[in-house]
Amino acid sequence: MRKKIKPYIMLIPVMVFILGIFIVGIVSGLLQSFGYFPAIGLKTLTLQYYKDVLSSPSFIRALRFSFSTSFISSLVAVVLGVLFSYLLLYDRRRKGGPLVNIYKVPIIVPHTIAALLIFILFTQSGWVARLMYHLGFIEDMKYFKPLIFDRQGLGVIMAYVWKGLPFITLVTFDILRSVENKYAKTAANLGANHFQVFWYILLPLILPTVASGFIIIFAFSFGAFEIPYLLGPSTPKALPILSYIHYNSVNLADRPYAMVINMCIALCGFITVGLYVLTFQFIKKYNNQ
Amino acid sequence: MRVKWIIKYIILTGLLFPLLMMIGWSITSGWSWPSLIPQGFTFRAYSYVLEPTTGVFKILINSMILSIVVTALTLLVSIPAARAIAFYDFKGKSVVKVLILLPLIVPMLTVAMGVHLRFIQVGLANTFWGVVLIHVIPGIPYGVKILLNVFELNGNKIETHARILGASPLQVIRYVTLPLITPGLIIAGSIIYIASFSQYFITFLIGGGRIVTYAMFLFPFVESGDRTMASALSIVFILSITLVLFITEKIVGNFYEKSSRYYV
Repeated sequence: MRKKIKPYIMLIPVMVFILGIFIVGIVSGLLQSFGYFPAIGLKTLTLQYYKDVLSSPSFIRALRFSFSTSFISSLVAVVLGVLFSYLLLYDRRRKGGPLVNIYKVPIIVPHTIAALLIFILFTQSGWVARLMYHLGFIEDMKYFKPLIFDRQGLGVIMAYVWKGLPFITLVTFDILRSVENKYAKTAANLGANHFQVFWYILLPLILPTVASGFIIIFAFSFGAFEIPYLLGPSTPKALPILSYIHYNSVNLADRPYAMVINMCIALCGFITVGLYVLTFQFIKKYNNQ
Repeated sequence: MRVKWIIKYIILTGLLFPLLMMIGWSITSGWSWPSLIPQGFTFRAYSYVLEPTTGVFKILINSMILSIVVTALTLLVSIPAARAIAFYDFKGKSVVKVLILLPLIVPMLTVAMGVHLRFIQVGLANTFWGVVLIHVIPGIPYGVKILLNVFELNGNKIETHARILGASPLQVIRYVTLPLITPGLIIAGSIIYIASFSQYFITFLIGGGRIVTYAMFLFPFVESGDRTMASALSIVFILSITLVLFITEKIVGNFYEKSSRYYV
């Protein structure tokens, strides 16, 4: 009996946080998004807030902006991160080379500072504009097409790539190395070239890790406030910023709108995970046949 | 082969060159258009950060204390949870696993806005402990997952042996479990500390501007585009993280060496 209860007792502290704060936060948000907000006297459940938000053009624009910046930045970070990881692999002969660790620096740099770095480089009086001027491409800073605060969100994308790339390299490097040790030499021995080894052997084996890395950075960038706030355009706004504007409104009755947006952000995360699970189940089935 | 070499260094430059620019901005007294390199040299921005009268240094220290408390608390709740998942079979295990990893997927913005009202009701909003509690959440998946890997790798045989040989439960923890999981604790602790120290939005929301962390102090400088001040503050930020990680590794490394000297 005691043995049966013991694991639950060990889980109590962590569950106090997960259920007491995390789940309570999500559920309160969910209730408020359906208009249940007793603190200001709203007690009837309604879908009205969802209807209002989902039909508003500013929400659609924000959704498109958040999705495209997050998706493109995560994709670029994953592709370049895996490529960099692969290139580092053949660097290990020179053991203790500085390369192996120095690429990790962006991981400890917070997003606020990542935004500053992109700002320093790409603002109209930034370093890239100056370089263009010296190379004779532009005559003055006002001719430099700003890459930040732009409607496509290039600055936002660059900042997330800068943060995401080394993260992907970090999570894939060790597994790539062990897989390479096991199979790559055999394949090479049998006549596979570098590209074939990578494409047919290494990549399929590290794909689950790569995919979960993608999900983590995608879900994070989709719901993070700092970078789109500091580098994004004033329209369209990213979803987290739109949500905060509703949340911070003087009129408390606007809060359900913020919660609707928050639920959409969370839902997108869940959909991504769902796709991930389905894909791997499909691959498993396919392989077993 | 040449192409590989070039691509590698292009990526590396892309990662490190912006940091170099930031260092340049932090020590320049003037760097006007269209110069490519800083024109003057001064440490004025740094002296502003480190001078006691400006209060920046105090914010830095308070912020470090907050993140250390967050890290300790997160690890403390993660250890038993990871052990339970690693060594016991129980009903609802898969649900527990999903619940613990969920903070990686659901953004903290959603959670913090949802729980804010409760925090106000129970008096946790705008307090040190309120901020600590909300910072623990994003650290839990990392803490539990990393320690779970460590426990699964080590198994619990050595602990059982120690118990059979007559060690008390406390002795087992002090002399067997802790030294075994120390490397995992350092990695998990580092990630949790960095994440907590870097949080801007949830600190700002739950702390209500009353609890000012270093990340919050830095934010308006970046927002207003004050390149020199923001750069100097950022470099102090990064250095402080590096310093804490370095010291932890040294202290814990010493402890680790001492305990394992006699028993392994």
